Amino acid sequence: MPFSIPGSNSIASRWRELTERWLSRRAPASHNVTLDHSKLFILPTRAGLAFLLIIALLWLLGTNYENNLVFALTFLLVSLFAVLPVHTFANLSGVQLQLLHAGSAFAGDYAEAQLRVGRRGGRARERLRVCWPPEEGALFDLVEQNEATVRIAMPVVRRGRVRAPRLRVESRFPMGLFRCWSRVDLDVEFLVYPQPKSAGPLPVGATAGEGNSEHRQRGGDDFAGLALYRPGDSLRHVAWKQYAGGRDLYSKHYDSSTDMRLWLDWDLLAGRDVETRLSNLCHWALQAEREQCAYGLRLPGSTIEPALGPSHQQRVLTALALFPVQGSL
Amino acid sequence: MKTEERLPRESLLWIFAAQFAALLPNFAFLPLWIVGAWGFAVYWRLEVFRGRRDLPGRTVKLLAVLLAVGGLLLSYRHWFALEPMVALLAVSFTLKNLELVNRRDAFLSLLLAYFVAATLFVFEQTIPYALYGCLCIVIITSALAAQLGSYSASPRRALGLSLRLLAQAVPLMVLLFIVMPRLGPLWAVPQNSSGSTTGISDSMSPGDFTELSKSDKPALRISFDGPVPPPEQRYWRGLVYSVFDGRRWSLGVEDEGGQRQWHRSQRPLPEVGPRYRYRVIQEATNSRWLFAMARPHSTTDGVVETFDDRLIRRAPVYGRFAYEVRSWPRETLNDVVPLSAVERRRNLQLPRDGNPRTRTWIRELRGRGLDAEKISAELLDFYHRQFTYTLKPPALGGDSVDEFLFNSQQGFCEHFASSYVFAMRAAGIPARVVAGYQGGEWVEQEKYLLVREYDAHAWAEIWTPARGWQRVDPTAAVSPERIRDGLQSAAADEFMEDSLLPLHRISILNRLRLQWDMINYRWYQTVISFDSDQQQSLLKSLLGDITPLRIAVLLAIPAAIALLGILAWLWFSGRGARAPVTSRLYRKFCRRLARAGIERLPGEAPRDFARRVRAERPQLAPMVDHITAAFEKAAYSGDPMAEKQLRRLLRRFWPMRTAGKS
Repeated sequence: MPFSIPGSNSIASRWRELTERWLSRRAPASHNVTLDHSKLFILPTRAGLAFLLIIALLWLLGTNYENNLVFALTFLLVSLFAVLPVHTFANLSGVQLQLLHAGSAFAGDYAEAQLRVGRRGGRARERLRVCWPPEEGALFDLVEQNEATVRIAMPVVRRGRVRAPRLRVESRFPMGLFRCWSRVDLDVEFLVYPQPKSAGPLPVGATAGEGNSEHRQRGGDDFAGLALYRPGDSLRHVAWKQYAGGRDLYSKHYDSSTDMRLWLDWDLLAGRDVETRLSNLCHWALQAEREQCAYGLRLPGSTIEPALGPSHQQRVLTALALFPVQGSL
Repeated sequence: MKTEERLPRESLLWIFAAQFAALLPNFAFLPLWIVGAWGFAVYWRLEVFRGRRDLPGRTVKLLAVLLAVGGLLLSYRHWFALEPMVALLAVSFTLKNLELVNRRDAFLSLLLAYFVAATLFVFEQTIPYALYGCLCIVIITSALAAQLGSYSASPRRALGLSLRLLAQAVPLMVLLFIVMPRLGPLWAVPQNSSGSTTGISDSMSPGDFTELSKSDKPALRISFDGPVPPPEQRYWRGLVYSVFDGRRWSLGVEDEGGQRQWHRSQRPLPEVGPRYRYRVIQEATNSRWLFAMARPHSTTDGVVETFDDRLIRRAPVYGRFAYEVRSWPRETLNDVVPLSAVERRRNLQLPRDGNPRTRTWIRELRGRGLDAEKISAELLDFYHRQFTYTLKPPALGGDSVDEFLFNSQQGFCEHFASSYVFAMRAAGIPARVVAGYQGGEWVEQEKYLLVREYDAHAWAEIWTPARGWQRVDPTAAVSPERIRDGLQSAAADEFMEDSLLPLHRISILNRLRLQWDMINYRWYQTVISFDSDQQQSLLKSLLGDITPLRIAVLLAIPAAIALLGILAWLWFSGRGARAPVTSRLYRKFCRRLARAGIERLPGEAPRDFARRVRAERPQLAPMVDHITAAFEKAAYSGDPMAEKQLRRLLRRFWPMRTAGKS
């Protein structure tokens, strides 16, 4: 696995490991989570500590001046400090999170998940933040509406199926002196495609056709002649020059003389490492889709027949994403 | 910078409001340039907010800091005081405003505002100030709540939220106020020394007390534990003037030091019990002397007894100060303190010359062989026969005693005391002028004696070998009403004549004023002067006995109640919201059908359920169909008519009875 943490026996990572294990027992992964006391943690923020410092200073002022009004103010602030965590906690307790959809993304980009955040009871929930730290995530209120749909994103680096880390749900309402948070595992899994990396123009005709590929294929590089424009022909192929010259609307026709179908072939990229090959294939697939040029994929062990369209692209990219990670091939 | 750290738009105005509220009472003594700078910084920041200007650059900020430091250095000489501290805080507000960008700055600014609001209480602890302080706290807390922005940042919601939070904090605050131990001052702190001396001063010249008689400000509030002295015994001694320069009576050089105070061993407390036990609450005088009846003794910290039977405090009384006193009236004591040579010289001191007529007259009296008591009686009789007591005595020239005794013969207490002591000293009898308050208004509801500035009085004390020091009040010889009933009845026509409106003549206002004073007294007794002694006695009365266990119980019971309250609140507000009326009606329908034997399956749609009922109980079909249709219409189209119809239908829907009949 590529993420062997350097110095994994260091205290920090041991600690992280321990807390993760503890959390996974305490709050197991689920698509639907309701926050309650067993999952919520609360601690003063840095502003809260500063508030305590001010309380200490006020106490000194009151003690030295033997001033009961200063004492009263000091104790009022102490009591306020005691009341606040209840509100902060109540603001998060009973919040329900549900994973609606975990999208897919290209490595090096942000993967986005869609959550539904609702509340139990009619109490207003303010300033909830859901994020994958250190990302900012989404900040929202549940005041008039009972639920909100939020999109949060995290950067993904590796291709493949990527399990998102625990989400952080937090709130500092009402005064920012306390932070209540929970680490929620909504069992989010992203499908991450390889990062597209350009490998030159589309490899049209680069592959010798396999089997019965003798038939000429429309949509190549070589100009084949003009034909009257028919509705449905690509506008890109309209012979504008002729049209401007006063003739009818013609379409230019191309065909490929060598191979008719575009194959994005693993073997074309020999000499590069696995991930680069996948990245290049990914880039080609996207390019071919953009240019509306049917393409197929040949990977060691799997072949996808040439086609076009979103579902085809999905299949191709998924195949690239899930290509086994290997040392060498 | 993360976007969440940037200041929400509403919060700026909140911060400025909080700063303004905290600084407003301090504007009176802050140097004008600080006030101006603060205003300018606020203006600049608001201009930035409107997008008309940029935040100041580094050079401007550095310049501002340098200017501020320079200004502070020029404005204040003594740094170890309260005013410079507040000024420093005000300046830091101002400078912070110039870089008020993110939430951290805002928090810092608001936490400082709490502190500034607290310093307000060091200056003043009266009820209006306390109320104003509460207002400040509410505003600052609202500002803190508004810092997070979003829903609760609108002025009304932030105010409501902070009021709610503070209201919830108050019970715990009261508890802490009662049980938290008070340590004494940990180190000496600078006292608020602004404000001039009010009330009686350290010297007395003709006309001083007349000035005092124009003020009705409270001076002392005295509550008694046990008997209350009768009016003619209420002499609250504050100062003893023993040096006379021909016009002015003063304390004498060595008096202000501590060397004249008694050591306990030098003069043990009398063996008999004190006649009066009382607690004096004294308003700020900015001086060290306290007021008590002769011969006093106090157990309050920092209060010492002096040679001449007075009480003084080690530190000046800069704020209201309460002290416990026990008094032994001199006539109850039979130990005569011999007068030392120094004391005798002191109390016989007179200017070398001046006031010749008085001196001649006294020599004449002595020539007749009269003793001290006789001479005193002669003088008092003279006053009684020929003198008038007035608040508007004519001005006196150089030989003030002569002029008073033989020409004007009209005067106020200081004239009588001064001339009497002069005459006695001239006769070779040790005598001194005592200044303080006499009398006071008894407030029946709250059981305390209210002494006002106009009760200021001067009288005399003479020393005789047989009885030692004894009080003689020459004013009583002229105007016994003054001593018995106070100034107001003794000089009714002249009393408070100069005040803009003769408010004291409107009885309802007098009553209101007295009411207000009672509230003030209560406030002071219960809140301001609540110290460790009172804490002990209150805890004792609450708990019976102060043991750690009982204190723990006292703390645990409210804590448990609060915890239960919070749990209940969490439970109730966390429970599902009440279902809409329509669904409740439909549930009622289902319950009735269940009783008739047809149970709705979990998750069964109303229409499916209706179909099932139709199949099982055909005779119910029309009603069930109607009700289901009405429910669907009411629930999904929100038709109020349908809801009414559903209600009406349900009233007639009793499947049990129908089933029973069939």
